[in-house]
Amino acid sequence: MALLVVNDLRTEFKTDSGRVQAVRNVSFQLEQGEALGVVGESGSGKSQMMYSIIGLLAENGIVESGKILFDGKDISPSQFAKKKEYDEFMREIRGNSMAMIFQDPMTFLNPVLKVETQLIEPMLNHTDMTKEQAREKALDLLRKVGIPSPEKRITQYPFEFSGGMRQRIVIAIALANNPKLIIADEPTTALDVTIQAQVLELIDDLKRESNSAIIMITHDLGVVAKLCDRIAIMYGGKIVEIGTDKDIFYNPKHPYTEGLLRCISNPEDDDEKSLTPIAGSPPDLLNPPKGCPFVDRCEKAMRVCKDYEPEVTDISKGHQCACWLLDRRAVKQ
Amino acid sequence: MSEEKPILSVRNLKTYFDVTKGIFTKKQIVKAVDDVSFDVMENETFGLVGESGCGKTTLGRTIVKIYEPESGSIEFEGKDIAKLHGKELISFRKDMQMIFQDPYASLNPRMTVGEIIKEPMIIHNIYNTDEEREQRVVELLKIVGLKPDHIRRYPAEFSGGQRQRVGIARALAVNPKFIVCDEPISALDVSIQAQVVNLLKDIQKEMGLSYLFIAHDLSMVKHISDRIGVMYLGHLVECGPSNDVYHRPLHPYTIALLSAIPIPDPDVAKNKQRIVLGGEVPSPINPPEGCPFCTRCTRATERCHKERPKPIQVGTRTVACHLYEK
Repeated sequence: MALLVVNDLRTEFKTDSGRVQAVRNVSFQLEQGEALGVVGESGSGKSQMMYSIIGLLAENGIVESGKILFDGKDISPSQFAKKKEYDEFMREIRGNSMAMIFQDPMTFLNPVLKVETQLIEPMLNHTDMTKEQAREKALDLLRKVGIPSPEKRITQYPFEFSGGMRQRIVIAIALANNPKLIIADEPTTALDVTIQAQVLELIDDLKRESNSAIIMITHDLGVVAKLCDRIAIMYGGKIVEIGTDKDIFYNPKHPYTEGLLRCISNPEDDDEKSLTPIAGSPPDLLNPPKGCPFVDRCEKAMRVCKDYEPEVTDISKGHQCACWLLDRRAVKQ
Repeated sequence: MSEEKPILSVRNLKTYFDVTKGIFTKKQIVKAVDDVSFDVMENETFGLVGESGCGKTTLGRTIVKIYEPESGSIEFEGKDIAKLHGKELISFRKDMQMIFQDPYASLNPRMTVGEIIKEPMIIHNIYNTDEEREQRVVELLKIVGLKPDHIRRYPAEFSGGQRQRVGIARALAVNPKFIVCDEPISALDVSIQAQVVNLLKDIQKEMGLSYLFIAHDLSMVKHISDRIGVMYLGHLVECGPSNDVYHRPLHPYTIALLSAIPIPDPDVAKNKQRIVLGGEVPSPINPPEGCPFCTRCTRATERCHKERPKPIQVGTRTVACHLYEK
C-alpha cells in the first residue's frame, strides 16, 4: 500500500477574471521512504498541488475533485461537509505525520517567539510529552540538524540566526514528530550555493536515517538529481512525465522534459554548445489549451495535440508520459 | 573572441559604506569591495560570481558610477571615470548601460514600453524627431524578440522574460559599448533563462558589446563568460579564463564553490563527493584580519590568519592565496 495516493486531483482558484485551473487532474503515488521530486516552472501548479494535499490552499482555492489517500486514510476535502471539519481534521495530521518545509524560513518562523517555543509546539500539540521531555527532544533535533551549542541557541529568536541556520531550524521543526511524509517547497532556493550544499546534504542524511518519504518541489534539476528517486515533471497544471531519476534524465519521452534538459547548462560539459531554449511562454491557466498544454511551444506538435488531451502512456514500470507522440498511430519523427 | 585592449580597467578599487549607528558608538564600516583589480577586454564577457553579500553588485554599481569609490581607479576607454565632468560624464553614461535583476521593479509601471525605451534616447538627445525614435524602438523590439505592436503596452501586460527583454532593449537604446548585467536571469524560469542568455550573446556578436555579467549561478556564468572573477567577502580571490577556472580551480574557495553546484545528472550528483564548506560567510563589518576565507578554509595555516594574501599570477590567471606563493 502506497503511503500517498493522489487520484485525479483538480484545484481551481476563483479570481475576478475567472477561474484559474491551477491543478488539472493530477494522479500519482508515493511509496514509504521514497523521495519524489516535482519539477516545473513558476505557474506550473506544483506548489498548489502540494497545498491541496496538505490543506493549505488560499481562501479562494477550491479542490474541485479528486481523491487523496494518505497512510490508508482518505484525506480528500470532498468527504467533509464543512470546511471547518476538514481544517480541524488536517490540523491533526499537519505537523504530526505530515510536515512541510517552506522556501523562506523567515516567513515560516514566528519572529517574536523563541526557537524553543516553536520547536516544542508540534510535540506538545500532537503527543502527550511534557514540556521537559519536549525540550530534551528539541535539543536532540537541533544537534541532528547541525546547529552548534544548541543549549544556548534554543533560547534565541529567529533573527539571531543566518538564513542557512534558519532553514535548519525549520527542518528540525518538521522532524519533531517523526513524520511519514515531508513536503519541501523549494527548501534551498533562497540560500547561497555553499549553504544550499550543506542543507541538501542534511536532507539527504535525514532521509537515509528516518525512512520518511519526501516530496521535493523545485525548479532546479540539479537538486532533484542529487536527492530524488523519482521525478515528476509538471507543466500547465498537469504531470506530463513521471519516472525514476534515470528515466527522466537519460530517457526523457516528453518534448517538454527534453527541452528542459537542453536548456540547462551542465558545468561538467566542456564544449561550447549553445543552450537551446524553449520558445514561447507557459499557457495561461485561466483559459488552458483544450489539448496538450505544451502544444504551442512544442516543435513536434501534431494536429491531434491541439484538440485532444494526450493520454497517459506507460513506457516502462513506473515511467509514464502524457504525449500523443507515444500513441501507436503517431508518425515516427 | 577577446582582443587585447581593455575597455575597462579597475585598479585597487575600494567601496566602503559607513553603517555607524548613533553618535556614541564606534565607527563601523562595511568594506563591500576591498582592493579589487581586473580588466575587461573589448568584446568580452567578464563573469563575476560570488554568494550574496560578497560585494559583486556593489562592484557593478560602482563601475557605472552609482556609488562613489573610497579609493582606487576605474578607467573606461582610458579615462578615469572619477574625473569625468559635464559632457564627458554624459557620454560615459551613454556608453555604459545596466540591466537589472528584477524585471518587475526596474520598469516604471505607468509608462508604456515605447516610453520606457524612448526615455534614454530623449535624455541623451540621440534622435531629432519623435518619428525617428519611434522607428528605433520598433527596431529594438524586433532585436530583442518582441513584437512592434507591444510598443503601446504597459509592463504589467508582460511576463518576466518579456520584461527582461524590454530592459535589454532600453539598455541598447543608446548604443552603449559596455553593459553591466546585474543578475539578469536570476528571477526567470529555466526555459526562459536560456532564451535571455542566447539573446545577450547574439546581441554581443552583432554589436560588439562588452559585458560585466554578475550572477550567483555558476553554471550559467560559465556558459556566457570568456573570463570569470570569483568574489568572496569583498575580495576578488580568483580570476581567469572560464574553462580554466572551472576545470582547474586554484583557490580553495573556488574549489568548494564549484563542488557545491548541484549537477543535473543523477549518476554524477549521487556519487559526487562534495566539499561541503562548514560555517558561513563572516560579517563584512569585521572581516578576518588575514585571508578573508581563512575562517572556513580547510587548508588554512597560521599565516593565513595573520597576513592577507596578495593576488599573484599563476599561468593564465590571478589567485589570491598563500598556497600558491613560492
